[in-house]
Amino acid sequence: MSIALKAEKISKYFYTPEKFKVLSDVSFEVQTGEFVSVVGKSGSGKSTMLYILSTMDTDYTGNLILNDQQITGRSVNKLAAFRNEHLGFVFQFHYLLPDFTCLQNVMIPALRLKKLSAAEIEHNAYEKLKTLGLEDQALKTASRISGGQQQRVAIARALINEPAIIMGDEPTGNLDSKNTEVVFDIFKQLAAEHNKTIITVTHDNDFAAKSDRIIEMKDGIIISHDRKPHEL
Amino acid sequence: MKAGINTRIAYTYMVSKVKSTLVAALGVTFGIGMFIFMNSLITGTNEYSEKTMLSATPHIRLYNDNKISNTDMLNRYLGDRTINLISNPQLVPQDNRIFNPDAVAAVLRKRKEVIALSTQVTANIIYSKGNVQENGTIFGVNIAEQDKMFDISSNMIAGKTQSVADNPNNILIGIGLAQKLNLKMGDYVRITTSTGLTKTLQVSGIFKTTIKNVDETKTYVSLPVVQQLLQKDRAYITDIYVNVKNYSLATETGNSMAQQTGYTSESWQQSNEQSLAGKKIRDIIANAVIFTILLVAGFGIYNILNMVIYEKIKEIAILKATGFQGSDVVSIFIQQALLIGLVGSAMGLVVGWFTSYLLSKLYLGLGNVTYLPMTFLSKHYIQGAIFGLLTSFFAGYIPASKASKVDPVSIIRG
Ligand SMILES: Nc1ncnc2c1ncn2[C@@H]1O[C@H](COP(=O)(O)OP(=O)(O)OP(=O)(O)O)[C@@H](O)[C@H]1O
Ligand SMILES: [Mg+2]
Repeated sequence: MSIALKAEKISKYFYTPEKFKVLSDVSFEVQTGEFVSVVGKSGSGKSTMLYILSTMDTDYTGNLILNDQQITGRSVNKLAAFRNEHLGFVFQFHYLLPDFTCLQNVMIPALRLKKLSAAEIEHNAYEKLKTLGLEDQALKTASRISGGQQQRVAIARALINEPAIIMGDEPTGNLDSKNTEVVFDIFKQLAAEHNKTIITVTHDNDFAAKSDRIIEMKDGIIISHDRKPHEL
Repeated sequence: MKAGINTRIAYTYMVSKVKSTLVAALGVTFGIGMFIFMNSLITGTNEYSEKTMLSATPHIRLYNDNKISNTDMLNRYLGDRTINLISNPQLVPQDNRIFNPDAVAAVLRKRKEVIALSTQVTANIIYSKGNVQENGTIFGVNIAEQDKMFDISSNMIAGKTQSVADNPNNILIGIGLAQKLNLKMGDYVRITTSTGLTKTLQVSGIFKTTIKNVDETKTYVSLPVVQQLLQKDRAYITDIYVNVKNYSLATETGNSMAQQTGYTSESWQQSNEQSLAGKKIRDIIANAVIFTILLVAGFGIYNILNMVIYEKIKEIAILKATGFQGSDVVSIFIQQALLIGLVGSAMGLVVGWFTSYLLSKLYLGLGNVTYLPMTFLSKHYIQGAIFGLLTSFFAGYIPASKASKVDPVSIIRG
């Protein structure tokens, strides 16, 4: 099995209001096709770590390798291009562009990547929405659909460029139990059937328990990242 | 090929704010409209005043100026064994004639830029009828040459220019002088020179130019009449007037003619410096007004973009999170600014044309200015559109580069 993510001694400080070490020497690996949940008390540094892993935050020490590519030390523009092609994000809030239709929202990252023609992208986006059960909402404006639907559109957007790694920061935080289950099943399927790597922060213990592996954080350090017995 | 994603986002952001977009675009519209109108009017005014100047002044006047005394003669007789100086040199009064005028004229006519040439003698005199007297200048001319240069024929309200050439007792006078001395066609007017010589002439034509002063003082007679009055020979010529193809280069051409002939040249620009200063001042005022309006228009665009960026900051963050680079964000908002500028400029062209058209129909009736002098030059419209887009670009650049520096992490984690 190849390694999708390798974090080596990642440390980060915040300087306001006072100097404070939010992450200290965080090291771990994630295999390709693994579905990992990150849990821990509020304020333990989960989001901070995820934004570093997502390449958006570059203000840290240590080393990060994603998809066998050296990430630490790359220029901002190169990181943006890497995210565009290889990473997908889902946040607690959907962050769709409300002036565009659902279909257009899903297409935007692919139009940025410019690997396919607009017609092909539209076709793919429509397919993604279909697998998420949203084909009827495709042409509605993103601000005119329900919260659960919006979150699923956001997932479709995260998947449009067929990224190898998908990261989520409490992607089900705003959803009811039924929609949470839908999102979980999508992630599970992506990992199991499409060999995608999923790393998601969650406060939902059931959600975490059903994933392949749980990484638990406390005060900026990882206190356990055991594989569950049945996975080994 | 469909528009790129950045353009599509820019367009969507623009139409999502129709009202503020229109307000910002209207700022550009007024700026460009004003730019076009002001330039059309000023060019019109400049052309008008240039035409007025050139109706009375030749492009180039060549004459024999008084020279300041120099050491040439001393050097010739005393040699260079001594250093010869003249303390307090004076202007040497001399016969201000052009020597051998036919030869000089022939030399000048050989130059290919010369389109008209006229030789003449002028004299300051007093016109009188009964006991009423008026000062003025009498021009002894070859009327055919002079007519070719100033188109006197088109200004005639009575009589013919040719009459002066036909009869040496005929005189052409201006409408102003005719009124002051109550002269009608066929009346006699007496001319007195500064040396006291007099002559009586018959009015054979009355002209009306665009300049009041000319109409009140200038008269034309045939050349020999003035030569006689001044008690000079038939070869006595004081001025050579020359019109050239490119009259904006009159000063340079005049200088070269002066060098060639040894006489002094004066271009129409040099003799009308006062009016040309007026033109400069008009240009400065117009540019200040236009600059101010465009600045305000720029602020309008700056403002709406700042507003959009403030509202869409989360969307900018998510675009960056999904791989849009700083340059993409700049491109989105610059394009939005340019779209607003494009709409505003397009409307500005129409508004500018319409305003110019309406005001060109405005009756003034002051002196010879009947209607507001207006030009319709495509140059002004092209410049206007370019200025509109440039303003939009710079107004958009500041907020756009600010937006490109948004840190997605700090926005998304809230
Ligand atoms: N921009 C910041 N400046 C200073 N301190 C910060 C900043 N962002 C977060 N922190 C602090 O860093 C610590 C870790 O924050 P982080 O958001 O990573 O926690 P978290 O584990 O995601 O918590 P939650 O489960 O509530 O989302 C917290 O103590 C928080 O107060
Ligand atoms: Mg968090």
